[in-house]
Amino acid sequence: MIFILTAVCAFITPYIMGNIELSTILLMLHVASVIYGVFVGGFGRIGEHVMTRRLGQVNMLLQLPQQYPVSFKQVMAVFYLKDSLYYLVYSYIPLVMGVGLAAPSAGVSYRGVGVLGVTMFLAFMMGMGLSFALSALSLKSRRGTFLLSCIIFSLILLVYPLDLIPAGVVLPPLGYWASKNTGYLLISVVQSAVLASAGVLFMKERFELRQQRYTESFLSAETKLGFMGELKTMLAKEWLELVRSGSLFPAITGYSGHLLAIYFVSWLFQAGFGLPISFNVIFFSGFVGFMGVMTYSFLTNLEHNEYLNVVPVSVDMVVKSKLSIYLLLTSGITVGYVVLIGLLKGQMSMVPMGLIVSASTSLFVVAVTAYLTGLWTNTMFFGAKTILKFTAIVVPPLTVIEIASMMLQFRPQAATQVIYGSSLILFIAAALIFNRLEAKWRGTSFSYVSTGV
Amino acid sequence: MPVIEVTDINKSFGETQVLKDINFTVKKGDFYGLFGPNGAGKTTLLRIITGQLAPDKGEALTMGVSSSDPMGVKRLVGIVPEAETPPTFLTARETLELTCRIRHVDDLGRVDEWLRFFDITDKADVLCRDISKGQRQKVMLASAFIHEPEILLVDEPFINLDPIYQRKVREYLRGLVSEGRTVFMCTHILEIAEKLCTQIAVINEGRIVSSGSMDELRVGDEDLEDIFLRVVEQPAVA
Repeated sequence: MIFILTAVCAFITPYIMGNIELSTILLMLHVASVIYGVFVGGFGRIGEHVMTRRLGQVNMLLQLPQQYPVSFKQVMAVFYLKDSLYYLVYSYIPLVMGVGLAAPSAGVSYRGVGVLGVTMFLAFMMGMGLSFALSALSLKSRRGTFLLSCIIFSLILLVYPLDLIPAGVVLPPLGYWASKNTGYLLISVVQSAVLASAGVLFMKERFELRQQRYTESFLSAETKLGFMGELKTMLAKEWLELVRSGSLFPAITGYSGHLLAIYFVSWLFQAGFGLPISFNVIFFSGFVGFMGVMTYSFLTNLEHNEYLNVVPVSVDMVVKSKLSIYLLLTSGITVGYVVLIGLLKGQMSMVPMGLIVSASTSLFVVAVTAYLTGLWTNTMFFGAKTILKFTAIVVPPLTVIEIASMMLQFRPQAATQVIYGSSLILFIAAALIFNRLEAKWRGTSFSYVSTGV
Repeated sequence: MPVIEVTDINKSFGETQVLKDINFTVKKGDFYGLFGPNGAGKTTLLRIITGQLAPDKGEALTMGVSSSDPMGVKRLVGIVPEAETPPTFLTARETLELTCRIRHVDDLGRVDEWLRFFDITDKADVLCRDISKGQRQKVMLASAFIHEPEILLVDEPFINLDPIYQRKVREYLRGLVSEGRTVFMCTHILEIAEKLCTQIAVINEGRIVSSGSMDELRVGDEDLEDIFLRVVEQPAVA
């Protein structure tokens, strides 16, 4: 997929370079690599949380050094090296191959493609090292984490918007492209190594487990959720798990953060790089559906659910509870987002349509996700068959809505009909899929390995 | 009428057949013990009976309800699984409250009764994640007992329990059977099983190699351990 995408992008590079300078393209590519690395390193931390929740008391990361003559520092170092190798092979080699394929037609030399791959990978390693360092430091010292975060943020501000230091000082791979001085590459390697070493050295060796006590809250939560009817019991359980696992804030910020990031990226294209693209409220409303997948997936990873094998509760009941929690969590955020976009773009007249589109896409996409994956949404990310099915079902209608949103300024009547018509179809489809959840998942057990996909 | 009827159950995982032509019945009021070496198929069989796994062939009925209706079976029985896995982020008290709600037990006073029975009242408000394995096992036992089911399906119920609570649970289960209820138990602790079981079956390499009462199976003055060791070394009988 990366190979294909980068090849396509490389083929259209001559057209992009007609509107964007090479230096801007390089900046975007390297910043994206840093962010990619930060997320990969952060995922290691988040993944550890997920493993703790899914396997209850067994924490894979914590158990290994507790039972074997291996230190946490060694485990951290191995994780860093493993991830480096994995993403080099999984992401950056296909990327270089994709760009290399298009190199002759794009007017780029193979040597240049190779060097680009190296600098982007170095940027990725810096991002990952930074994330590892911050993750490890966060376990030891909140003050230290805050201080380091402030330093990083200050450096970024000095580059943009203050423009007091060149970007190459903060991101050495860019310094290479600006000056062709290979010393910058060496600095980048050293920087990555220092950050990774800091991550290893900061790693704690002893973790103290605290006994957490809670005043009884299940019955009162169930009472407050009485408006949800039969689902109130399971919903009360889900709610307490969400809050007590520390996942409420990440769920909300993850969902809203991604939505805001989409708007920010579009603003960057328009205001930052001067691209003549105008995305309206409807365009952003359509993206809400995609964010629902990640949030639903996050919610299905809060708890292992083994206990439910011994009580008369079925998988479809828990799926419906997860969907309900998802809707309770995200509905207000979605409404606020659509209204905010309407205000920022001066398109308040489009907000009602935007709300309908966001509701229909969100319900449809999350219904498809729940139907295809139940409580094992990770299969979507690692199962080719499932992701192909999901793509085939979800991408076409959402693409129609997004294209129609862009056509609103040229053919408003036709575009409006398409948008409302598509939304109606998505609402009906979502309702049909919800009704089929029981038939799909009732007979499945809650065990770790899904038997339903 | 038998309360549990297992007919021609076969189950494979990939190319490995773990259960072969399993047939037995459990009558009302039986304390039925299923024993076997590690990997013999005990837990797999229990999971099939409770509807957590589907057999490749055959059928398991619990009070006339097929295992193909796991919700129907789970409503009728209490289950203690092999691994103690109460909800991570609920307290012991909340886990029992959740169980009462799911099982439509209106008398929430039973929650305190079972917390006292297992002497975990002082841990009632601690997250299940943060209590010891033995305490988690007690929560699982209490969850299975709280709705007073007619049939209990228990897999290694004494694991992680100290001798005091092994005895308490033993006496409780014996009391249930004396009231006419039924217990189906898998365990490796043969000393306890010998004191409790009225009917036993030994499973080895996926087949029932011997079944009946202790008196029917005993040769001479064998105890249950002797019986077990003798039959697992014999070839399987049809």
